[in-house]
Amino acid sequence: MHDAAPQAPRSFLVGVFDDEHAILAVTRAIAAAGLPIHDCFTPYAVHGLERAQGLPRSKLTFVCFGGGAIGFLTAVALQTYTQGIETSFLSGWPLNVGGKPFIPNTAFVPVCFELTVLFAGLSAAAGLLLFCGLLPGRQPKLLVDGVTDDKFAIALDTAAPGFDEAKARALMAAHHAVEVSYIAEAA
Amino acid sequence: MSATASHLREPLVLGSPSLHDITEQVLAPMERKPSMLWYAVTAATGLVALSGIATISWQLYEGIGTWGLNKTIGWGFDITNFVFWIGIGHAGTLISAILFLFRQKWRTSINRSAEAMTLFAVLCAAMFPLIHMGRPWFGAVWFVPYPNLRGPLWTNFRSPLVWDMFAISTYFTISAVFWFIGLIPDLATVRDRAKTKLRRTIYGTLSLGWSGSNKHWSHYETVYMCLAGLSTPLVLSVHTIVSTDFATSVIPGWHTTIFPPYFVAGAIFSGFAMVMTLLIIARKVLQIEHLITIKHLENMCLIITATGMMVGLAYATEFLMAWYSGSNYEGFTFVNRATGPMSWAYWIMVSCNVISPQVFWFKKMRTSIPVMFVMSIVVNIGMWFERFVIIVTSLHRDYLPSSWAMYSPTWVEYMTLLGSFGIFFTLFLLFTRVLPTIAIAEVKAVSGWAQKPAHGHADGSARAEAGAHAHAAADHDASALAKEPEAVHA
Repeated sequence: MHDAAPQAPRSFLVGVFDDEHAILAVTRAIAAAGLPIHDCFTPYAVHGLERAQGLPRSKLTFVCFGGGAIGFLTAVALQTYTQGIETSFLSGWPLNVGGKPFIPNTAFVPVCFELTVLFAGLSAAAGLLLFCGLLPGRQPKLLVDGVTDDKFAIALDTAAPGFDEAKARALMAAHHAVEVSYIAEAA
Repeated sequence: MSATASHLREPLVLGSPSLHDITEQVLAPMERKPSMLWYAVTAATGLVALSGIATISWQLYEGIGTWGLNKTIGWGFDITNFVFWIGIGHAGTLISAILFLFRQKWRTSINRSAEAMTLFAVLCAAMFPLIHMGRPWFGAVWFVPYPNLRGPLWTNFRSPLVWDMFAISTYFTISAVFWFIGLIPDLATVRDRAKTKLRRTIYGTLSLGWSGSNKHWSHYETVYMCLAGLSTPLVLSVHTIVSTDFATSVIPGWHTTIFPPYFVAGAIFSGFAMVMTLLIIARKVLQIEHLITIKHLENMCLIITATGMMVGLAYATEFLMAWYSGSNYEGFTFVNRATGPMSWAYWIMVSCNVISPQVFWFKKMRTSIPVMFVMSIVVNIGMWFERFVIIVTSLHRDYLPSSWAMYSPTWVEYMTLLGSFGIFFTLFLLFTRVLPTIAIAEVKAVSGWAQKPAHGHADGSARAEAGAHAHAAADHDASALAKEPEAVHA
């Protein structure tokens, strides 16, 4: 906040636990005590942990909806232009197939549906990678040993206001932490 | 204590492995050296795949005159195989998306391999419309609406064949994305266990820097839900659109409104049978019988019986409608199907698809591995013949008796069919070597919450205890507690 100095990797107090009940309980306790939670790390999505940690609802549903809307409009525009509109520039070519209407209200439905789904799905997936900074070749910023196997970890930001090491250690110990240590973020 | 979803239900994971045990057991097959059996089987299926590819190359060079098609029967093995393979793919999406939305936790052990199967089946399927064009280097691009120098002359969007192109390519893309998103956490698990630099590099690249962060999990779960929600209508639309390839024509036997639901039910029916064939072998060979239990297979048997009877109902409805419509041509086509020169195909279809799945009414039968294995193959034979019957028997005697004909497939067609099985099984065998065949994170989730806290009180169930902890720690979060019962019975 004060100047541009803190380029040095941040350091976290990390408590490691053995099961999801412990991580849920300790996260609620730490949140209730008002300590600054940086993040939790778990081998699978633990239900209720996002609420315990105080995370907002993911906005990716909106991204997905937006993608779908763009897909739908693309399909409508593509079909209407290519089947029914003659313009001088890049002209479409209306085809008379058995005297059927050029712009039918039902025959365009399948392609509209497919492109809606395609765009919605791809934008949700791209949004996920973007929101989480997941890209090929990326290394995790903070990787606690064992969290992709059977360990559950909570990391507290040591630099954040309100950080109280003694209190944090006491809460972690009370919830049977198997290990509490400082871990620095990868540069 | 084993991982139970409820005390009234059978456990989903047997033998109460710890979370670490699950990682070890799922990844063991891809971390040890492949067995001789794996090499032998892969070599055999690889050989079949290669001979299939050689046959396809010959057919591309020589033209589709090498097939047994004629002026009357314009679609034979090619489109039969296409519809067959697309149908196989549907079970994977059903398991991964529809069962997810219905909170069917038993899907977690089988969804990964079923989704892989979907991708490989759709690849095999997509091959057939391409090669049946004869000159795919012209035909394939004409399906894509792009500005061109022929006018520009655009794709006709009122044609079901164009809808099909959009449906299949969307289906493949979304299935692949869904599959890969599901793989990311498991790839990170593989990365963090990797012993060699090569493995660490490959899986490190593929896992995109996943760290198990709960912020990421929260987005991840949302996207997973969105993709499941999108895939559900998508999978129904794909076979619906495939069925309109037939239903929008004026051929008796094709021109019926029952086709979309009938095709979708048949697709799920055959797809589950194929999942069963693959998993019965895989769980044995990969030694994961406690993760893919008899209970999983039994559930699949029940779905097979249910969808088998839906298909049976569709066969009966077609006959009823042919009679009730009063159309001579429609009536003739169906009588010809059941009693004409190709009635053998019809009766193979009925006995495989409608009669034989009835054995699964008996618990002894639907929990017996040999019975299930034989049945899974019988069902797939039946479903291949269903498409053959729909396509060939409807075409071979059309409106004009002077153009009636018979169809005898050539060796090229047989080899192409066989080759597609070779390609499918080879891809699946390679998959079992290089990727986790079970969604590790998802199995841990159903197993993990049920495990007793290591330091908990001796009394009370695990869940009640977690609730008590929560209560002490965060009384302000009443909604969390209100949610608990839902989690227990999910």
